[in-house]
Amino acid sequence: MKETIKGKTKITIDYKKCGDGVGVDPRECCACLRQCKPAVFLLHQTMGAVEENPLDPKRWRVTALWLDLCTRCMKCVESCPSGAVTVTGR
Amino acid sequence: MCDLCMKHGAGGKWYLNAEHYSNEIVERYNLRDFLMEQYKNFEQMSVRKIHGFNAVGMGYKLRIPLVGRIIRHTAEKMLHSTNPPTNPFKAEGHIGQVIPLEDAIAILETCAAEPIIEKNCMCRYMSRGIKDACCINFGVMSEIVDKLPRFIPEKDKYFLTRKQAVERFREHNRKGYIGTIWFGPYPYINNLCSCANPECAGLRPRLDYGIKSIFKAEYIVHHHEEDCTGCGACVKFCQFGAIELDAMRKKITINMDKCFGCGLCRHACKQNAIHLHPRDETPGHEKDY
Repeated sequence: MKETIKGKTKITIDYKKCGDGVGVDPRECCACLRQCKPAVFLLHQTMGAVEENPLDPKRWRVTALWLDLCTRCMKCVESCPSGAVTVTGR
Repeated sequence: MCDLCMKHGAGGKWYLNAEHYSNEIVERYNLRDFLMEQYKNFEQMSVRKIHGFNAVGMGYKLRIPLVGRIIRHTAEKMLHSTNPPTNPFKAEGHIGQVIPLEDAIAILETCAAEPIIEKNCMCRYMSRGIKDACCINFGVMSEIVDKLPRFIPEKDKYFLTRKQAVERFREHNRKGYIGTIWFGPYPYINNLCSCANPECAGLRPRLDYGIKSIFKAEYIVHHHEEDCTGCGACVKFCQFGAIELDAMRKKITINMDKCFGCGLCRHACKQNAIHLHPRDETPGHEKDY
C-alpha cells in the first residue's frame, strides 16, 4: 500500500472570484463544502484577521485542506457558482 | 484504564474527576483570555503554520520519508502536551476520548460546571458551512461562546439546565452522533461534543492519518450472536466501519480493532443483542486506546 509522493492532487481556488470579500461571501455559498463527500475543504479566516476584526466578511475564504483524501469526483468544480475551483494533478 | 485515567483519574475515569471542570484551573492558567483568543480564530488553526508546517495536504507530507515521521511525532507531542498552555493558535493539550451515552449523562449530571450552554459545532461549520447546534460547553467556555455570535444557535434559549443538557445529548446520540469529551487545553475539560466522522477535526487525524488525537472509549462492544437476526440496522450507525454484515450467515461481525466503543450501534439494535463491556476486561484489547 505504499504510495509514492508523486502524483499529488492539487485543488486551487481563485481568490479573485471567491472569498476575500469578492462576489459571494463564502460563508453563505458553501457549495463546494457541502458537495464534498470526504470534507476536503475548510472555511476559515485569513491570517491577518487575528489582529483585526475576525468576523469581517473580507477575511473569510475557502481552502482545500485534506488534499490527499480527494476522490476527484469533481462535484466541487461543477457546483461552484463563480467557477473558482480547479482540480489538477496526478 | 487509559494513560489519562492513570494520571488524572484519581482512581476512576479522568473525565469523571470533577477537579478538571473547576474554575480554579481557569484562574491558575489564565485560560479566560487564552480561550477567547483561541476561539475567535478557531477555524484558521489548521492552515496556520507551526514549526514551518501546516495541515494543508497532510497526507502527502506524512508520506515524505523521515520528515513525515518528524511531523507525526511533533503533532502528537503537541496534542498530548501537559505543559501550561502558552500559544492560543496551537491545539496544545487538546486531547479527547470517545464516551458512551451513560458516561456523558454522568458528566452532565454531576461533574460539569455551570453554566451549561449549547453551541453551534465549529467543526461542522468550518468543514461544511452548516450551523448545527450540538456541542455542549461548560463553565468559562460558555461565557466565551456567548460573546462569539457565529457559535450561538438561532434558537432563543441556549443556556441549558442539567436536565435539558442530558435530554439534548441523548437526542444527538440517538441520531448517530459520537459522544466525545475533550481537554481544551489540558487540564481543563470544557467540551462535550457530538461528532460525525468526516467533519470532525478531532477524529480526522486519528482515522485518516493515525495521529492519536482522540482515544478509544473505556468500553468495547460485545454482541450475542444468538440474538442477532442479521437485519443490518447497526451497520450504518457505525461511523468507524467496524461492523460488517455477513449476508449468508445472517449475522454481523464486529471488527474489535476498529471499534471505538461509542455505543451508537446499541440504539439501532431492536433485539438488544449489542452490549458495552469495559475495555480493560476484554482480552487482547486492554491497552488498545
